[in-house]
Amino acid sequence: MDPSEVEFLAEKEFVKIIPNFSLDKIYLIGGDLGPFNPGLSADVPVWLALNLKQRQKCRILPPEWMDVEKLEEMRELERKEDAFTPAPSPYYMELTKLLLNHASDNIPKADEIRTLVKDIWDTRVAKLRLSADSFIRQQEAHAQLDNLTLMEINTIREFLLDSLNCMYKLRSNLQPGATKGQFGDY
Amino acid sequence: MDTPSYFPVPPGVGMEENFLSLDDILLSQERLPVRTECVFPRLGFLEKSSDSQDIPEGTKMELPLWLCKGLYEKKRKVLSVELPKIYKEGWRTVFTADPNVVDLHKMGPYYYGLGSQMLHFDNPENPDIANALLQTFIGRFRRTMDSSQNAYNEDTSVLVGRLDCLEKVLFRSGQNSLNGFQGWEKGQAAQLTASSLVLNYRKRKLVDVQS
Repeated sequence: MDPSEVEFLAEKEFVKIIPNFSLDKIYLIGGDLGPFNPGLSADVPVWLALNLKQRQKCRILPPEWMDVEKLEEMRELERKEDAFTPAPSPYYMELTKLLLNHASDNIPKADEIRTLVKDIWDTRVAKLRLSADSFIRQQEAHAQLDNLTLMEINTIREFLLDSLNCMYKLRSNLQPGATKGQFGDY
Repeated sequence: MDTPSYFPVPPGVGMEENFLSLDDILLSQERLPVRTECVFPRLGFLEKSSDSQDIPEGTKMELPLWLCKGLYEKKRKVLSVELPKIYKEGWRTVFTADPNVVDLHKMGPYYYGLGSQMLHFDNPENPDIANALLQTFIGRFRRTMDSSQNAYNEDTSVLVGRLDCLEKVLFRSGQNSLNGFQGWEKGQAAQLTASSLVLNYRKRKLVDVQS
């Protein structure tokens, strides 16, 4: 999977905006949106919020988790725990990038938030690599990891699956009985 | 997204080889020390050290893997294959002691592939060889993962130089996902660029033709 595809899925998340125009309820296939009244907050998906923002028709409100103190707490919690703590949002990385790139004027302390989110990301990815290594080292058949977001899974997916394939085939060398039959096939 | 113009056939890890895989074809060129069990009449030209017309029984020589596999028979009338020294007891203990120290590229760039193929020639040490391969792989996994996931936009020749070909394939896939993620974060994913497939055709652009 491509990071752009993960970003596309992330754009379905809802975010609060304050429009400066008025519009009746719109009926889309995915659901109904609106009605929009200037000055009253509305819940819209991120793709619509970004589009309106770029046309200067709204103001985006930062999501609840995008706050310096909350993120600092989460960062400390993540560093203390060995397992994965629940992520700020299932798409925190993508939302941070999108919102801070397009709407940084609406979000207070944008740079600090960016640094904090990056710290949380680094800690989580390091834990992911540690658990992948112990998974392979002990040659387990199953592993369960809670609270991983799609972006983190995506960065390690290709590598881990290829390595597991190789390990499986090397392990099948230990039982030569099944594959011997096709020798002499030239 | 960078789609390649062809999908290379991956090597068949383990006891089977993929017929169309370039890695496997190069692998089968590796030479193995063998001892002939019967006379090879009129094939003396293969054995450069002696001048006789045919190869007498009991000669020690080196043959490539594809030839050994074809000539090997259970009843051992034709050849007996010896293990190359990297799969012998001495080196196996080195690998199990610390897999990360070893330069697998120098040991024969196809350590895992050749080791898996050696299991075809019934050898009493086969389970040990298979085990050593597996343990070496597991031990080196961490180093490969870390180096492939952390080296962004650097010269990776130092890191890759000590890896076996199989590990190089894994390294490349790790680098791909890293590059994809970093490119996305920088915003390159949103820019339109000409596909590498089209660039390879090297067609003249309309702009160049007109001017």
